[in-house]
Amino acid sequence: MNLPCGTRNFTYAEDMAILRTKTHWVMFVILLILLFTLPLYLSNYWLSVANLIGITLIAAIGLNILVGYCGQLSIGHAGFIAVGAYTTAILTGRFELPFLVGLICAGVVAGTVGLIFGIPSVRVKGFYLAITTIAAQFIIIWIINHWEITGGFIGIEVPYASIAGFEFRSEASQFFLIMVIAVICIFLTKNLTRTKVGRAFIAVRDNDLAAEVMGVNVLYYKLLAFFIGCFLAGIAGALLAHWIGFMNTEQFSLTESILYIGMIIIGGLGTSLGPILGVIFIRILQQLLTAQLVPYLESTFNMMPAGFATGVTPMLFGLVIVLFLVLEPRGLAHRWALIKSAYRLWPFSY
Amino acid sequence: MAELLQYTITGIAVGMVYALIALGFVLIWKSSGVANLALGQIVLISSWFTYAMLVQAEFPLWLGFPITIIFALFLGWAIERFALRPLIAQPILALITVTLGIGYFIEGVVSFIWPWSVDALPRMFPREVINIGPAVISQEYVWVVGVCILVFVLLTLFFRYHKMGIAMRATADDQMAVQACGIPVTRVFSWSWMFACVVAAIGGILISSIGGITYGLVETGLKSFSVVILGGLDSFIGAIVAGPIIGLAESIGGGYLTPLVWAGVKDIIPFIIIIIVMIIKPYGLFGETRIERI
Repeated sequence: MNLPCGTRNFTYAEDMAILRTKTHWVMFVILLILLFTLPLYLSNYWLSVANLIGITLIAAIGLNILVGYCGQLSIGHAGFIAVGAYTTAILTGRFELPFLVGLICAGVVAGTVGLIFGIPSVRVKGFYLAITTIAAQFIIIWIINHWEITGGFIGIEVPYASIAGFEFRSEASQFFLIMVIAVICIFLTKNLTRTKVGRAFIAVRDNDLAAEVMGVNVLYYKLLAFFIGCFLAGIAGALLAHWIGFMNTEQFSLTESILYIGMIIIGGLGTSLGPILGVIFIRILQQLLTAQLVPYLESTFNMMPAGFATGVTPMLFGLVIVLFLVLEPRGLAHRWALIKSAYRLWPFSY
Repeated sequence: MAELLQYTITGIAVGMVYALIALGFVLIWKSSGVANLALGQIVLISSWFTYAMLVQAEFPLWLGFPITIIFALFLGWAIERFALRPLIAQPILALITVTLGIGYFIEGVVSFIWPWSVDALPRMFPREVINIGPAVISQEYVWVVGVCILVFVLLTLFFRYHKMGIAMRATADDQMAVQACGIPVTRVFSWSWMFACVVAAIGGILISSIGGITYGLVETGLKSFSVVILGGLDSFIGAIVAGPIIGLAESIGGGYLTPLVWAGVKDIIPFIIIIIVMIIKPYGLFGETRIERI
């Protein structure tokens, strides 16, 4: 069904390969070339959108491992991203450590904080865990706002990322940095979900009691999912910090966390393609709305109510999340699979 | 001493409002197993609706208040009918996220219609202070406690004697058996959503008549989750007992801890309680411990 007619396996390695046919390889290479030559075609504005998409993607992949594969609902993802962002901001900004150290530390610190708030997941799940992670979000943001070292409510400045003396100043250079890390993350998580760890995650998601009976160490794998998910959130936070150059807790509100959940739901939970589609969909919709459509409508019709600009975005996103859950709970990834198989089977679709 | 008494009374009053909002949550959770995370936004929009009735349309209190109740009933019905009815028997993940989406939507509606985001409701209760021993307390808090107790009593009577109340309790007990008895379960769901929205609206009006209408109301809704968690998700008594406990912890803890740690510790205490309860006694004081079978 998922493979073109006539594809056969002669070795086990062939069966397990991600890219099965020559066409796959050609498409994949074309996609990579297109991706990494994007700075040639895109204006600076759309390049910054692409950067935002890349950063969001890394965090969303982490959330997808946690929620989509391991089934541990976390609504505090923006809080963990904030931990990563502030870690690198303090390390590189205040202590002037190199960027790579800040990046790794951001991931590890965010992962550790995630582990701490993930401990209740040992005994509870579902709604209880959702509430715990909301609490985590509020506690993290409160601590950041009141600790002197983070700059508090005023915010903190972050230097540009630099590796071996090269500073990532321009939008294009940062694009390469972000996309390389994003592609590595996609590759690693795609493989992670095919290994023993990934299968254990899925077993825990589907029924954690049954998984335990089968010999899966549920405690270990739940905490591991929290660590990996929050590690990626930390990496994304660090990149975000160096990209924006200025951190403030308002960038990590609860609504941002909800938006992350929305992204992976719209994309399709527990698929490797899902977060990619969901992130692109939401971020581009957001840009079109706030930067293109709303100013256009406001300048065309001067009768617009005053709250139009601030109200229309959450309204529409809330509506999109609800509609997707009601009408297409399996997300865009499922829709894409349907389109692919329809194309493959055409014109004899039965 | 005077300080402590003041903290106690304001704490109990605010805690009662939390309990009221939490009651709305428990109602829905018990009857339909949906976790309503849009509670804070429902509180927010019904407070703003009251504002629209009383201040913008200049209705008197006896007219504006019933209209708000009808609005809350309609809100509850609409949420259940259009967002949750299609999702019956879906995994809990979908049920939680759909309420998050609803909350986000309501937030957008609020900032669409009332973009200035901070305002005050007209005073509903007399403002003269009263003296209890050495403490000086605004009369409003006593009124709030009174209204909360009145609502609790009304709800108890409803659940005890009204046909729909009994059906709702039965649905909470055993959904399959109720269905077999010929009780329309979907109607029970929609009634529990309507009731939940009404108690959330009353809680919202009470708390915003004291503190004004701000986005902090969303946080008030989230804080009432700590009541739910501490009391136990499926226990009405738990919510009523845990509400004042959370309120007291917030006001006494906030009052005495603020000089010791950073400012604003008051707002974070309910969330810290959530984490502690989760680690020590995840099913709360009165909650039923779930025993799962494969």
